[in-house]
Amino acid sequence: MPRLKSATDLETRRQEILARRDPDKPCVTICSGTGCHAYGSEKVAQTFAAEINKNGLKEKVDIRRTGCHGYCERGTIVVIFPQEICYLRVKPEDVPEIIETTLTKGEVVERLLYEGEDAQRIIHEGDIPFYKHQSRIVFGPNRFIDPKSIDDYIARGGYAALAKVLSGMTPEAVLAEVKKANLRGRGGGGFPAGMKWETTRNAPGEPKYVIVNADEGDPGAYMDRSLLEGNPHSVLEGLTIGAYAIGASQGFVYVRQEYPLAVENLNVALEQARDYGLLGENILGSGFDFDVMVHRGAGAFVSGESSALMTAIEGRVGEPRPKYIRTAVSGIWGKPSNLNNVETWATVPLIIDKGADWFSSIGTKGSKGTKIFSLVGKVNNTGLVEVPMGMTLREIIYDIGGGIPQGRKFKAVQTGGPSGGVIPESLIDTPVDFDELTKVGSMMGSGGMIVMDEDNCMVDVARYFLNFLSEESCGQCVPCREGIYQMLKILNRICAGQGRSGDIELLEEIAEVVRDASLCALGATAPNPVLSTIKYFRDEYKAHVEEKRCPAGVCKELISYYIDPEKCQACLLCLRNCPVEAITGGKNLIHVIDQDKCTKCSACFEVCPTRFGAVVKLSGVPVPEPVSTGTEVKRKRGGKSE
Amino acid sequence: MAKRKTKSTFIGLKVTSEQAETLAQLQKALNSPTKTAVLLRGLELLASSSLPPTPPAQPTPRAAPQIATSLELSQIEAEARHYLNALAQTRNRSEEVMKQMVQELAKVDQTVDKYHGDRNYLIQILLDIQRENRWLPRDALIWISQKLDIPLSQIYHIATFYKAFSLVPQGRHSVSVCTGTACHVRGAPRLLEKVTDTLKIRPGETSSDLRFSLSTVNCLGCCALGPVMVVDEEYHSNPAIEEMEKIFSACE
Ligand SMILES: Cc1cc2nc3c(=O)[nH]c(=O)nc-3n(C[C@H](O)[C@H](O)[C@H](O)COP(=O)(O)O)c2cc1C
Ligand code: SF4
Ligand code: SF4
Ligand code: FES
Repeated sequence: MPRLKSATDLETRRQEILARRDPDKPCVTICSGTGCHAYGSEKVAQTFAAEINKNGLKEKVDIRRTGCHGYCERGTIVVIFPQEICYLRVKPEDVPEIIETTLTKGEVVERLLYEGEDAQRIIHEGDIPFYKHQSRIVFGPNRFIDPKSIDDYIARGGYAALAKVLSGMTPEAVLAEVKKANLRGRGGGGFPAGMKWETTRNAPGEPKYVIVNADEGDPGAYMDRSLLEGNPHSVLEGLTIGAYAIGASQGFVYVRQEYPLAVENLNVALEQARDYGLLGENILGSGFDFDVMVHRGAGAFVSGESSALMTAIEGRVGEPRPKYIRTAVSGIWGKPSNLNNVETWATVPLIIDKGADWFSSIGTKGSKGTKIFSLVGKVNNTGLVEVPMGMTLREIIYDIGGGIPQGRKFKAVQTGGPSGGVIPESLIDTPVDFDELTKVGSMMGSGGMIVMDEDNCMVDVARYFLNFLSEESCGQCVPCREGIYQMLKILNRICAGQGRSGDIELLEEIAEVVRDASLCALGATAPNPVLSTIKYFRDEYKAHVEEKRCPAGVCKELISYYIDPEKCQACLLCLRNCPVEAITGGKNLIHVIDQDKCTKCSACFEVCPTRFGAVVKLSGVPVPEPVSTGTEVKRKRGGKSE
Repeated sequence: MAKRKTKSTFIGLKVTSEQAETLAQLQKALNSPTKTAVLLRGLELLASSSLPPTPPAQPTPRAAPQIATSLELSQIEAEARHYLNALAQTRNRSEEVMKQMVQELAKVDQTVDKYHGDRNYLIQILLDIQRENRWLPRDALIWISQKLDIPLSQIYHIATFYKAFSLVPQGRHSVSVCTGTACHVRGAPRLLEKVTDTLKIRPGETSSDLRFSLSTVNCLGCCALGPVMVVDEEYHSNPAIEEMEKIFSACE
């Protein structure tokens, strides 16, 4: 491939790519993001290839593996162009029918379409409620692009923003545009990107560095991964534009090695960009030199912190340092270094392309643009969603997420990962906005959004995050290392039914010290999961401490399993499934759990047919005396036919 | 020393029957005194952690110091076992084994060269070696330390700080349970319990026959399937006990 030497070259190349492509030629796109991959999308893709060959359609149909579409709940997702027919939950067995019906006859396979409320089938992806309420400006292109093809990206106008910058904008003008857009960092803190860029630009010292933070340490989120895997060029384009504005000639992508596909796609993208002259020396003939190196992170949450990340890039242990001097001024090897999150960088080309005014027309006063969330947990439509800032949590969870499964009651939503907090039902109309979320004791974070229902225990959730943080604290400073550990110890004993009066107050006291005296933000925000759960669910804590009761039935030491003799129908299921033979019973006999043997594994509770509902969880009340062995069951009226 | 040892004690120390078996094996292999000296290093470490027998499998709380130490003990054991095998092989086909070792170190050399022997790439070099071997053998670390002129302690600092590295050989099959937040609220603790009960090893451990290594991971990007267990790249959504047993028994 000859290198592109100017903005005009790029446009010419784009026209060539488009001319080679017939817009009416059918193209089967198969989502190959991690979610769909886990469902077996690779088999679906292979079956398509084999069947298309077999039917002699090889010349007539294209196949494209794309990044994550977002609707992970319904994977594997297959979209057929040009009609944009969207098939959900596609299995390899469905492939021949799709080929015969859709590709040969041009009709739709009804049963694979989305089924709306009134049993109406929806053909186009964009009309499905899950997508309809989103604004997918950053994440949307994923579904059209093969991440390993730079041509796919260019065909959709990719690198046009970079060309615009290099062919006619001064670095100052780029900086001004990003500042005007008021783009705030998507990695957690929400710091204005333009201001940070300016600091690095003005800081003394050469060379300067720009870095992508793709460490994605939040244990319950995967949007950065999906973006980097699905559309790596968008991140690289943003990074290159940033480098130009800041005056950097070297970039780094810090990506966790647990994301092998992201590393692979990124490396492919780098090679292609270099081939095309979009990276390297004299980019697009502008005289601007810039290249990017990939640094694989070896897995440590704290290494996602800016100073720690930069130390890790230097090849040393990634631990934070005091930031009297910010990394923007003194980062990698003591040089000015600007770090931004994956999503922040991917947003930059859009701002340049469509203008700061367009960008800041989306969102709220203080938070502009859109944000990608990983909407997960107890929600019907698990997946990645991109919404304009200012949308309420209720809209996200109910309109997009389709509410809570199995008719359970919504209890709380957790945002901000281990640094964030829980937001209870009473505040579900809070809009997603950096400042609003902080106000209610949580934070935007990088975009984890974990929905919880009445079966989730808030003390357990706090304990979960503290357990994570106690393992991830680097241990340099005492308040964080010991404070988190002590809080965890208290939470452990509360969950084990050994809570003491005064524990809740003690937690609050330690939390304050940890927050104020820790060196880095890991420690400083570690109390959030504890404080926010205490703030909104104090009664639940009290039930644990005072009544030794876990209202949600989660904390093992506080619950007992009991078979209601009135309801047991002697189906033998629980008896067969108990791993420790704690259940006695037999044909026609009421089953009884031996509380001394029971390890509370919950197997009996899970297998007891819902129509009997005989196994119950008890908490905070004594287990009733068992019926004497050999008592016969009371048959339900109409027994079997029910 | 060998004479005094009974089934359940070793140099006056109480050991579990499984540990006793490892020790017996070690002793059987120890005929030549020089090899003994090498091997005993592992055993000395084992003995110096004079601990009560391993407590019954109890995955939580992982922070409890006793469990942490016994985890260490089991790691030392695993390492000792690896060297035992290597030594047994040495006795039989020493030349071949030497060649193999040279080859291994040559591979390390290649990796180091790939990064132009630049110390700034230490973490990347270790990641590559970890991926190649699925653990970081001590000889490789010493080799790198000398080649790059980095103190061994610094290399161990990195190797123990990051989750990606393992200082003990890994089992042939990797089993990981996602304990990411979404999986947690959907019942990952129960799933993990089922897995530890079935495999009889705890997260971070490898079974003594080197068949399985169990680990916990954070979000795998397929929360819709949660809670998830991954066995050698195959994803399983909250498998029931029987299904799990089937999956495991299919692993050689
Ligand atoms: C303990 C800790 C972990 C962090 N992990 C991440 C991470 O995984 N990804 C990320 O983008 N930012 C992470 N951050 C935030 C970064 O320090 C930094 O603020 C961010 O990458 C800057 O990018 P932004 O301004 O575009 O958000 C973390 C911060 C802390 C204190
Ligand atoms: S606050 Fe915690 S993670 Fe941060 S430097 Fe201190 S000990 Fe390390
Ligand atoms: S909870 Fe588990 S151990 Fe207890 S009775 Fe039920 S199946 Fe048996
Ligand atoms: S939290 Fe387990 S896959 Fe996301």
